[in-house]
Amino acid sequence: MQEKTGVWATARRFFGRVPRWAYALAALALAISVPLLEQADLIQTVWLRLGIRSLVYVLLAMGLNVVMGETGLLNLGYIAFFAVGSYTTAIFSSPRLGYHVDFWILLLASTGLAMLAGLLIGLPTLRLRGDYLAIVTLGFGEITRITFNNWESVTNGPGGIPQIYRPMILGLKIDKPGEFYYLVLIFVVLVAIMLTNLKSSRVGRAWNALREDEIAAEHSGIHGTSLKLLSMVISAGIAGLAGCLFAYYQQFINPTYFEFLQSVLVVCMVVLGGMGSIPGAIAGAALLDALPEFIRQAFSRWLPDLLGEQTMDSLPVAVQNFFIEFDRYRMLIVGLVIVVMVIFRPEGILPDSLWRREVREEDPREVEKTRQKLFDFDEGHQDLEA
Amino acid sequence: MESTQSPLLEFRHVRTHYGRIEILKDVNYKVYEGEIVCLLGGNASGKSTTMKTVLGIVKPTEGEVLWEGEVVNNVRTSERIRRGIATVPENRRLFPHLTVLENLEMGAYTRTDAEGIREDLEKVYELFPRVHERRSQRAGTLSGGEQQMVAFGRALMSRPRLVIMDEPSMGLAPALVDQSFETIQSINEQGVSVFIVEQNANAALSIADRGYVLQTGQVVIEGTAGELLANEELKRAYLGEA
Repeated sequence: MQEKTGVWATARRFFGRVPRWAYALAALALAISVPLLEQADLIQTVWLRLGIRSLVYVLLAMGLNVVMGETGLLNLGYIAFFAVGSYTTAIFSSPRLGYHVDFWILLLASTGLAMLAGLLIGLPTLRLRGDYLAIVTLGFGEITRITFNNWESVTNGPGGIPQIYRPMILGLKIDKPGEFYYLVLIFVVLVAIMLTNLKSSRVGRAWNALREDEIAAEHSGIHGTSLKLLSMVISAGIAGLAGCLFAYYQQFINPTYFEFLQSVLVVCMVVLGGMGSIPGAIAGAALLDALPEFIRQAFSRWLPDLLGEQTMDSLPVAVQNFFIEFDRYRMLIVGLVIVVMVIFRPEGILPDSLWRREVREEDPREVEKTRQKLFDFDEGHQDLEA
Repeated sequence: MESTQSPLLEFRHVRTHYGRIEILKDVNYKVYEGEIVCLLGGNASGKSTTMKTVLGIVKPTEGEVLWEGEVVNNVRTSERIRRGIATVPENRRLFPHLTVLENLEMGAYTRTDAEGIREDLEKVYELFPRVHERRSQRAGTLSGGEQQMVAFGRALMSRPRLVIMDEPSMGLAPALVDQSFETIQSINEQGVSVFIVEQNANAALSIADRGYVLQTGQVVIEGTAGELLANEELKRAYLGEA
């Protein structure tokens, strides 16, 4: 193949040569540095809090990527598993019902119950394909939220569960944002390592094969139903784990955290990052969660600082207000980013190589179908004449 | 060659339904070790349903499917493949975005003996030098004939005892059809039994040991390939001779 020249191609070659683990380490170093920067007063605590939330979303996106990206099953009610994990932790570690269960037990219980929910919803529905599965999972997500909303005796309904206890880990009380940040980061790293190994295993290959062509996969000896169920259960477990950590950090949860839009947001993160790509899920989640905050800060703080007070004051009031209130439009920008990405880079930010081929290359089966349609039309025509 | 040993695959009085419509009506087939058995029949005669029943995608409502003498009616598809049935599906059904090599590796999905897999890969490359040439190319970019070879190769990668083939010559250029039947013969010579559904009766019978003719879900003629080729009724209906 001929080597391309030019700045872009050269840069691409250079960055392509850097091994993937180097990027992973760089990202990890960046993630580790956030609380240190906050400690040194170089960034505000708001960024650290944002970081914790982003890391929870990273867990969710990595989890959804298992079922949606790797196995190709659209789940529109994914946040329900997150809710199951959150409520398990909240109910058993708050004054609400007077329980104070140990962190590790609740971590396992939240993960386990979410996995059980995944199994229960997966068993009857995984025979369904595509759109139907999406509708059923959507319904499941809403049912779960409404159940938590109406089960007042346990969940306190819309009022939510306040005063969730801080977790004690190995005699250490996790209290400060920096401590929470590292706690979630540790789980992000563990989950990422586990999923990376799983992806390159027989199970991961079978998931991808099922996504590509279910019948061909079955004909290769892959038991579709059980592997799809496995992917659903693992994916649900990760959401349960994320829910547990979220409840501990937030100290208060109510049903509004688990609305349908949250599920959609996680779907967007996976698509934006690149379906079936673990680095993609991480990048997509961090970007989509942090971007609105960056936009808000940029217009309400950085831009006025840059222009100086006098310049700002000299601007018309309407423009001043526009800057200050720009965060109202931030979701508009996020939506725009998604639209532009889908048009110009449909495979995602950091795509998985197989998924890129699937998106970018013409599907010969479709071509064949079209050809046959034309061909059949010809034949039908001849029949009429005869 | 029959009667002395028990058949590898056997259908005993099998009936299948799609909803209330009966597709196979009390059919009996036997495929012995080392045989090529050919299934002929017109459209909607139940050929594809037969293949699906062998794989367990369709379950018999009556009768028994036996694999190596054991009833496998309730054994799922993936387990049947694990036990030694491989398939060259209709329209080949390769994974178009995977490379040729990755497709072949998917064929060996049920196996864990890395050494044996490598040996079989070598065998496939030996049988199809063209597949070796194309090994790092996407399967979807190959020509029909090349895809056919990959589909055969993928089936062999599970080290099967029986390969079932659903119209392997369909959609191939005429020149490639003969070649594909030669390939089936050479696969068979390696000791693999073949159960093949074909429209191209002449070519199929020329390599087959025995054959069955299906008509609206019933076996109307059965016999050795020679008998079928000489059968007057069959000649008129399928072999295009008046």
